[in-house]
This record gives sequence, C-alpha cells and structure tokens, in this order.
Amino acid sequence: MSRESYQVPTGNSPTFGGSAAFPTREFIPDNSVSTMFYICGDCAVRVPLEKGAPIRCQKCGARVLYKERTKRMVQFEAR
Amino acid sequence: MSRRRVVIPSEEELERRNTVGIQAEYISNVQATDFPRHYPGEDNSWNIDKFRDGFRVQFHKNGPLEASFSLIGIHAAVANAFRRIMIADIPTLAIETVFIENNTSVIQDEVLSHRLGLIPFKGGREGLHSFLKWYKKKPNTATDNLGVSGDHFDYNTVLLRLQVKCTHNEDAAEGERDPRKLYHHAHVYARDIEFVPVGRQARYFSGADAIVPVNPDILIAKMRPEQEIDLSMHMYKGVGSDHAKFSPVATASYRLLPTIKIVEPILGADAEKFAKCFPKGVIRLRKVTRQEAAKQGSGYEGHEGELKAVVEDPMKDTVSRECLRHDEFNKKVKLGRKIDHFIFSVESTGQWESDAIFLESVAHLKAKCKAFEKQVINMVR
Repeated sequence: MSRESYQVPTGNSPTFGGSAAFPTREFIPDNSVSTMFYICGDCAVRVPLEKGAPIRCQKCGARVLYKERTKRMVQFEAR
Repeated sequence: MSRRRVVIPSEEELERRNTVGIQAEYISNVQATDFPRHYPGEDNSWNIDKFRDGFRVQFHKNGPLEASFSLIGIHAAVANAFRRIMIADIPTLAIETVFIENNTSVIQDEVLSHRLGLIPFKGGREGLHSFLKWYKKKPNTATDNLGVSGDHFDYNTVLLRLQVKCTHNEDAAEGERDPRKLYHHAHVYARDIEFVPVGRQARYFSGADAIVPVNPDILIAKMRPEQEIDLSMHMYKGVGSDHAKFSPVATASYRLLPTIKIVEPILGADAEKFAKCFPKGVIRLRKVTRQEAAKQGSGYEGHEGELKAVVEDPMKDTVSRECLRHDEFNKKVKLGRKIDHFIFSVESTGQWESDAIFLESVAHLKAKCKAFEKQVINMVR
C-alpha cells in the first residue's frame, strides 16, 4: 500500500530485521571504494578486487574470476 | 393396481449378490445391487436400524504408525470417501516457506527448499491439533522488505532453522577417504534442523513434544569444506489436496476380503499343488474322515485318509488367481471378493496416529454432510 512507486533497493542501504528473530548478515563498511570479493576459477581463493583493477587472481594468476553468491536473503516456497 | 408381492431372497442368492466374481480373464458383479427397485418385490431402501445391525468394525493391527482394520457392511462409496479424506483433507504441519541467507552447497536453492518441504515432522498432539490454527494469507496485507506479511503469530506459524558449515576435520587419519570422517558436517541430515519456539509454543512443544522430524536420518544435502547452508523456515498447516507434503498418510488404502469356495473336493497330490498356489496359511490340508467318505455323492467315497484342501484364512490371500491356471482344479474352485467387507490399511507418516487419522476422516465427512444438508434445505425453501 505504498504511495510512491517501488524503488530498487541499492547495495548501500541496510535491510531491516529479517524474519522473526533471525538477523541478516552484517554490512561491513570498507574504506576503499567498492571492494568486492571474487572467487578464482582455478584455486578457489577469495580475491578482493576494486573497481577498475586488472582482473587476475593474486595467488595463481588465473584470469577467470567468479562472482560470490549474493548476501541478500532469498525466499522460496517449499514446493 | 399391481399386487404387492413381497419376495425374500434365499441365503444363497444373498451371498451370490454379495460376492464379486473373479474369473481368469475378467471380474464380474462389481456393483452392489441392494438399492430399491432393482429387484421386483424386494424392499432394499436404506434403513438406519438395518445398517446399525449389519455394520461391524474389526481391528487387525493398531500400531502408532500403521493400522489395519475391517469395515464390514458399508457401501463402497462411503469407504472410498473415507480413504480420499484420509489422503487429501486431514490438516498436517509441514515446511512451506524457506528463507535462505546463504547456500554455497551444490544443491540448488529451489531443490533444497523442495526437499525441506517433504520432510515429515511430529510434535505434541494437543499443540498440533488444537493450539495451532490455519495461516490465512490475506491479500493486500502490508509486507515488510522481505515480503513477509505481519500476520504470522505463534498460533499459526512454526519457525525452524538450519545452519550448517562444512569444515576440515583436523583429527582425521592419514589416507582417510570417507567424507563423513574427513570433514565436519559433510552430510546434512534432518536432525540438524533446529526448532525455535516462539511465544506460547514453548508451552505446548517442549521436551518430548518438540517439533522434530519423524526420521532424523533423512539426508538433505552433502557438502565439502568452505560450503555452508544458512536458512530459516516457516511451517504452516495444510491439506494433501494442496500439496502431497501435507498428506498425513504414507498412503491409506483398502481391499475387499477375498473368498475362495471349493465346490468339488480337491484331494491328494492335487490338494498339495492347490495349497502351493496360494500364500502360506490360506489353504490347509486335512484328512478325509470316515463320515465324509461314507456320505453318498460327496465325492469323497473311497478316499478316506487322504488329504483334502480346506480354506483356512482367506484374508491372507493376495488373489493372484494362480489356481485358475491349472486344469486339475480350476473348475473345482470359485474365487471372489465380498462386496461390502473393506480391509483398510492406514500408514501414518508420523504426525498423526493411524487410528486418529481415520476418526478424523469420519468427523470430516460428518461435517461436510452437515454443511451440505444446510444447503439442500436452503435449495428447497
């Protein structure tokens, strides 16, 4: 019943308390500009990467990096 | 004006009408014919006293998870109604919504949610049947950011949690290959689901009455180190007609009591072969006595002391019709089923007791009939 149209939640706004007594995962503030973690395709290590940085794994030098699973809660019907 | 001749059928005729015929290639006389105007001169109108005198219930087995009983003297439509209500209309509690915070295992979110929904749970009887009510999803209710509406209360929703992380096991032996020993929580079982009581639920579901899976050893997922499953679940009451996970019975079924009539004597080696055509305990071999051998026209003359086949317990028969395949005795035996003797088998999944499920189905049918009666009266007004 909102008067404004639906607005896509941006990545920076924290979500409110989740279902019943269960807290969502903490929003960890970072000093650097949007540093995200990616998963190396060869050695499966979490690689921190800033925006504009060259895409390489620090440990093994592989150039295929996968994105991590979203931190957002997903809801499913058990059907 | 026609003469009203009252006809009373013989015992044989009544038995013939009451038996479904089983021949080698087909089944005969499947419908019950004891309704008015089918037989001229007979009054077969339904009568509560006649029903009460003729109706019987016999229990064969009554465990918490499996019950077997006979309903004798009832019409197939009513027996079938009970069976259908037991499968589809008895309310049960099951997982309906899964909120996944993190799932890095190989099992996809939707597959994992589907598996969780199918796990049967048990809990305190009073809490489950009288305290917990239905959850009605009201349309246009205000929802919070997560799409969860604000009408979940302790009396209509149960909260469960599953948080498992797979890690390396430092103490594993060298060269160990079994993943259950190499890693902690490599296998996620139903017993890893935690029940989180909310509000008054702690009063009804504590200790032995807690809401736990009926089978704690159900394997939900397999994981390897660094993988984790972190989710919470809401359970609601539902019925089997909505989704099979809400059905309280593994299945509920019935069969008609088989009848085996030996019309001509089966003796000696034939009798032994005949007994082998049926499951153990159906046919018993008895010695022909002198009185039977002395009777004229019985077919036992000169066979005193031989073994003859006698029907002992037809309920154990699975009606494979094997005896109709052998020419030595397929003309000497008549197979059939009693048309009004229903042997029910109710297998509960654990939330309800088997006999309670049947009683609940009777109550449900009664409630439906009462509601229907009101509408019929409305219609006629």
